Amino acid sequence: WKCPDETVHGSKADIISTVEFNHTGELLATGDKGGRVVIFQREQESKNQLHRRGEYNVYSTFQSHEPEFDYLKSLEIEEKINKIRWLPQQNAAYFLLSTNDKTVKLWKVSERDKRPEGYNLKDEDGRLRDPATITTLRVPVLRPMDLMVEATPRRVFANAHTYHINSISVNSDYETYMSADDLRINLWNFEITNQSFNIVDIKPANMEELTEVITAAEFHPLHCNTFVYSSSKGTIRLCDMRASALCDRHTKFFEEPEDPSNRSFFSEIISSISDVKFSHSGRYIMTRDYLTVKVWDLNMENRPIETYQVHDYLRSKLCSLYENDCIFDKFECVWNGSDSVIMTGSYNNFFRMFDRNTKRDVTLEASRENSKPRAILKPRKVCVGGKRRKDEISVDSLDFSKKILHTAWHPSENIIAVAATNNLYIFQDKVN
Amino acid sequence: MEFKLEAHRIVSISLGKIYNSRVQRGGIKLHKNLLVSLVLRSARQVYLSDPCQGGLCLGGPGAGGPSQPQPPPPPQQQQQQQLPGEPAPGWGDPLPRDSSMEQDPEPALATLEPPALPPGLGKRQMEGSPPVRAEAVPEAPRRRVEATETERSGCSGAGGGGEGAPEGPPRARHCCCRRFCCSPPGTPRADCGCRPRSDEGAPQPPPVCPRKRSAAGVGVGPAGCQASGGSPVKKPRRDSEEQPGEEEEMETGNVANLITIFGSSFSGLLRKTPVGGREDEDGEEEEEEEEPQRGPEAAEPGPMYCDKPVLRNLNPWSTAIVAF
Repeated sequence: WKCPDETVHGSKADIISTVEFNHTGELLATGDKGGRVVIFQREQESKNQLHRRGEYNVYSTFQSHEPEFDYLKSLEIEEKINKIRWLPQQNAAYFLLSTNDKTVKLWKVSERDKRPEGYNLKDEDGRLRDPATITTLRVPVLRPMDLMVEATPRRVFANAHTYHINSISVNSDYETYMSADDLRINLWNFEITNQSFNIVDIKPANMEELTEVITAAEFHPLHCNTFVYSSSKGTIRLCDMRASALCDRHTKFFEEPEDPSNRSFFSEIISSISDVKFSHSGRYIMTRDYLTVKVWDLNMENRPIETYQVHDYLRSKLCSLYENDCIFDKFECVWNGSDSVIMTGSYNNFFRMFDRNTKRDVTLEASRENSKPRAILKPRKVCVGGKRRKDEISVDSLDFSKKILHTAWHPSENIIAVAATNNLYIFQDKVN
Repeated sequence: MEFKLEAHRIVSISLGKIYNSRVQRGGIKLHKNLLVSLVLRSARQVYLSDPCQGGLCLGGPGAGGPSQPQPPPPPQQQQQQQLPGEPAPGWGDPLPRDSSMEQDPEPALATLEPPALPPGLGKRQMEGSPPVRAEAVPEAPRRRVEATETERSGCSGAGGGGEGAPEGPPRARHCCCRRFCCSPPGTPRADCGCRPRSDEGAPQPPPVCPRKRSAAGVGVGPAGCQASGGSPVKKPRRDSEEQPGEEEEMETGNVANLITIFGSSFSGLLRKTPVGGREDEDGEEEEEEEEPQRGPEAAEPGPMYCDKPVLRNLNPWSTAIVAF
């Protein structure tokens, strides 16, 4: 994996909270804690510079969400962008959904490279002309101008969630999408903002009986009636919207029996699923809990078909990680375009890739020192035993403040985006 | 002994997290607090089930029983899961501790040995409780621990729950507000400043103080006292809840009360039989939830725990209390 020129985009101000490629990989969107969205666009490869793959440069920046205050409940609503999801492109403009804890917004990002000139009633500065002075009429014409990218909010989907939104997912019908909070999932139509359908509600009548919450949800990539949601208890439910209006009863229930030898105070926390993703094929789902990534076959509910240890050396440190709140970190996971490799983040700015076919895995680091342009990333290794080799890093030296929670993989090429706190790293794989 | 200290530490840390969650930006996060409450419950169970409490390590590691499915294993629960007639080695040891910690002669740990239980207490007291608790019994492995606790506390609570009028306990719980004001007889409500709960109805006898006094002197009472260790925890939470039927809010408001809950009810926590069984199914999710009708099983008044002899033995918890 290599680091092309100028691929580190950092804002000292804000921590990146979500990263997402669009369906073609031409655009890469990031959301941050300050409610801003920054979109990068890949430069077209030019014939003159064959050796230079397209780089990603800033295309558009806009403020998606602002801090709000709910006066009724005396609650401040954070502007942090929890998720961004792109819509497939259907015309010249790009559309994306971005959400904070309470409100989902549909943004239209469009280019303007022409502007009309030659108005009759206003002059070029925009000042109104005195109609009495007009002696002739002309037809305004469009003249080229410097490219301007503008983002406008086209829809605001608000007031539908009592709890904090953790996921949004666009349906394959491109007409609907869902938003999920801790206890409920709502189905929206893009055109209708003042109502949504509640399709999952796990809030118990007696809140004291609450034992689990929804942690992530996603639509099947191909079947518009199917979606999954994961829970804090480490289970995944697959639901079919054709079965009933309210999908409280699942069609499939994925759960792996707990290993009794691993029980501790923190067993429940580390089994909570932080992310769930369908494979591009729609045949598998991948889940991330605190220490592992698991791949499940939709046709087998009683256990995953693959389990990958991300950083099992942390298992003996759970108490410290509980104290410093790291145990609550929500790592995401991603598939590559062909579903053959999966990737997820870890601490010390490490991220891990697992090749499902060769069963090989690699640990890489996203850091400025190691990422000179064109530099090849060196695999890293964490030493768990006594003797530490020269290039290894010991568990106790890991920096837990440097965590990689959000990563993204280009839909068809080996280009990855890795968010390390407030820096975004983009790496490309040079096959030749 | 080590895991008791560990459990203590984890409880303190967890309470701190819940406390801090009140002031964090964006409101209380339900997911995180649910997880913290699960840890809190596990640690508390370990702490309470550990015979080595208050510095008197009488049972020793052997008291935990041979096969321990989970580290650290709550010995009492372990025993409950085994044959009732087989107390773990050293089982009799905790008794002196209990009597030293309580002013009541009846050893609370008698409830832990089913054969020693007075007739009627040996049975699972689930029947006496509302369906809420009964449902908790046949649940997943994790619930197993709670179920046994239910047994224990239900046994001890049977004494109190059985003797009190059904409406007594709820009323007692009601009056046992967060400060555990030891209200004079007949005026629990006024002193506690608790919000009246319409669902409990107005015409409730004031059992709080009479029960307290009886508990001090009578053998049966203490069992109830022990069981009610849990009720004060629940009560303040409930009092702070909105009445049902209100516009739905994010129900994490009670997190704010949890610190006071634990601050004032540590004496209850230290009583070996945790909770009147009510906490069994819910664990510490209480801080996030509404408390609906409580069954009569676990209702013991909180003010009981203001007794000085009990408070003297609260040293292990003093740091936690001071912190909050």
